[in-house]
Amino acid sequence: MTRSMLIMLAAALPLPATPALAQQGGAPAVALPVRQALGKVLPQRSPEQVYAKVCGYCHGRNVGPIILGRGLPAEAVRYIVRHGQNAMPAFRPTEITPAELDALSQWVSQSPARKEEHGQ
Amino acid sequence: MSLDLDRRGLLGAGLVGAASIGLGTGASAASPAPLAPGRSMADFTGAMKAFRGVVGAEWVFGDEDAVAPYEKAYIPDPAHRYKPVGAVCPQSLEEVQAIVRIANQYRQPLWTVSTGKNMGYGMTSPATPGQVVLDLKRMNRILEVDAELGTCLLEPGVTYQQLKDYLDDNKIPLWIDVPTVGPIASPVGNTLDRGVGYTPYGEHFMFQCGMEVVLPSGEVMRTGMGSIKGSTAWQAFKWGYGPYLDGLFTQSNFGIVTKMGMWLMPRPPVYKPFMVRHGDMADVPRIIEAMRPLRVSNLVANCNLMMSASYQLAMFKRRNEIVPDGAPLDDDSVKKAAKANGLGMWNTYFALYGTDQTIAGVEPIIRASLTASGGEVLTAAEMGDNPWFHHHQTLMQGGLNLDEIGLLRWRGSGGGLAWFAPVAAARGVEAQRQTALAREIVSRHGFDYTAAYAIGWRDLHHIIALLFDKADAAEHQRADDCYKELVVRFGAQGWASYRTGVNSMDLVAQQYGEVNRRFNATLKHAIDPNGILAPGKSGIF
Repeated sequence: MTRSMLIMLAAALPLPATPALAQQGGAPAVALPVRQALGKVLPQRSPEQVYAKVCGYCHGRNVGPIILGRGLPAEAVRYIVRHGQNAMPAFRPTEITPAELDALSQWVSQSPARKEEHGQ
Repeated sequence: MSLDLDRRGLLGAGLVGAASIGLGTGASAASPAPLAPGRSMADFTGAMKAFRGVVGAEWVFGDEDAVAPYEKAYIPDPAHRYKPVGAVCPQSLEEVQAIVRIANQYRQPLWTVSTGKNMGYGMTSPATPGQVVLDLKRMNRILEVDAELGTCLLEPGVTYQQLKDYLDDNKIPLWIDVPTVGPIASPVGNTLDRGVGYTPYGEHFMFQCGMEVVLPSGEVMRTGMGSIKGSTAWQAFKWGYGPYLDGLFTQSNFGIVTKMGMWLMPRPPVYKPFMVRHGDMADVPRIIEAMRPLRVSNLVANCNLMMSASYQLAMFKRRNEIVPDGAPLDDDSVKKAAKANGLGMWNTYFALYGTDQTIAGVEPIIRASLTASGGEVLTAAEMGDNPWFHHHQTLMQGGLNLDEIGLLRWRGSGGGLAWFAPVAAARGVEAQRQTALAREIVSRHGFDYTAAYAIGWRDLHHIIALLFDKADAAEHQRADDCYKELVVRFGAQGWASYRTGVNSMDLVAQQYGEVNRRFNATLKHAIDPNGILAPGKSGIF
């Protein structure tokens, strides 16, 4: 996917989801949350944790557009996380590691919509 | 003084003749990113190669795509000036020391960030060209938490979210105190920039205790009691012996703080949040006059936020829901929208902390005073699940949210925000004059007065969110002009910023005077002769 295609996808984010895409895949099994131990760096987090501790404060809470259940391409998710989209800050590999982002982007792409989320 | 000016001139303004690279920093072949003045491409590549030897190639970023996350900023920057040339990301004290020694060897400036999420102050953008970001986010160990003393010792990459999770996971009944973007911001970074929060521990630097600092030479110094072998009081006693050093490492470029102690507030048995609703923009002075004695006496112990309706609406609404695009944001329209959402034109949030008995003792005194100011004193009983009340109810108990990022969508979708934060004494007449001046300036530039007052113990931080659409080139330029006029004209009245973004650090430093600047420059030259640590931070070169 070219950079210009990714930007076009990013620009299209606020548009309604395509239900057919949203149903492809399916969410992976829920992993147990990792805990940070005293004196140790933050271990690799599951996609659910990254979403809960970072993304989900805005997306689905009227601050950022809903991103779950829309079948967003994983590559577009990765691009937007690293570059920031409009009002969204960029997140560096030191904040969301490459391994976390790989798993997160797949998870976002495949996750179903959540009824409790709302946004515009 | 001549040395000072030479360094400023070299690093801040004159880029003519500076070497440049074609990669990174949003640069293109037609407009390459400049290296730091006086440094050659060989210096830069030599430093980057040596950095890779310390942290591994995967944690040194120099090409365009890899540097991109370090370029995202909300502040006005129409000249694309505040762009780094690379980044290096250590995970230990020893790696930081090695990086500093390499930076000295190649005279490569380093711009240090903790989590790089100060939002409207520039995020990871350096104040001058040619800097490599020293990104400390990987250093995110929680080193100690003492549940009895209510203290902790943290590395700079720890976020408020990590600290809160640790306290919750281990059932430690201590609170954190957050700025408005807590989940992704750093307690160390925010404290070093002298940020504020909204519990009784809201003046963050007052509750800091002990630091470990890598000096520009690469030596490690501990402040307070930290340099005493066997001391158990590093996080308990702030002052140590002799000159108090910790302040030198806040809003400065004299060292790299790699560990910081902090006090944490014991969770009180009872927490009761309030909102005081006032109906008119002109109510500013009477609110401040009513609140000041409550703050000075500490009957109200937390840092209050006195929020204008427009600021509140901007968090969760779009501007064109209130007035049509292009129309001025008039008071009548704002008042109507505010009322429809349970808000007044000013909404002041405070909380009481204690036991049922202590709160029952002070609440009637506070209510009487604020009611006499013309305000409606409201609690959760009246406000229910009102989203704005919920937001402040969360903040005033150290809870986490990112609601304020919604401000970035108020006006277009380009994501432009610059905080302007002049200080005044907590007097009604000063706030009245500041509000009038701010409204005159921002409206003339075509922007909105989206502002709040943080009411401290005896001071006011007037927090003005200059919101603009960064995707609109003309509006972007107007925002830059507007911001500079705010700084200059407020300064002329004796109101200078308590903190500012990289877009205005030099301008604000000028307002604090040449004697102060020269003193800072003298220290800087003595301890950092190669000028490798964050040149331009707070206007210090």
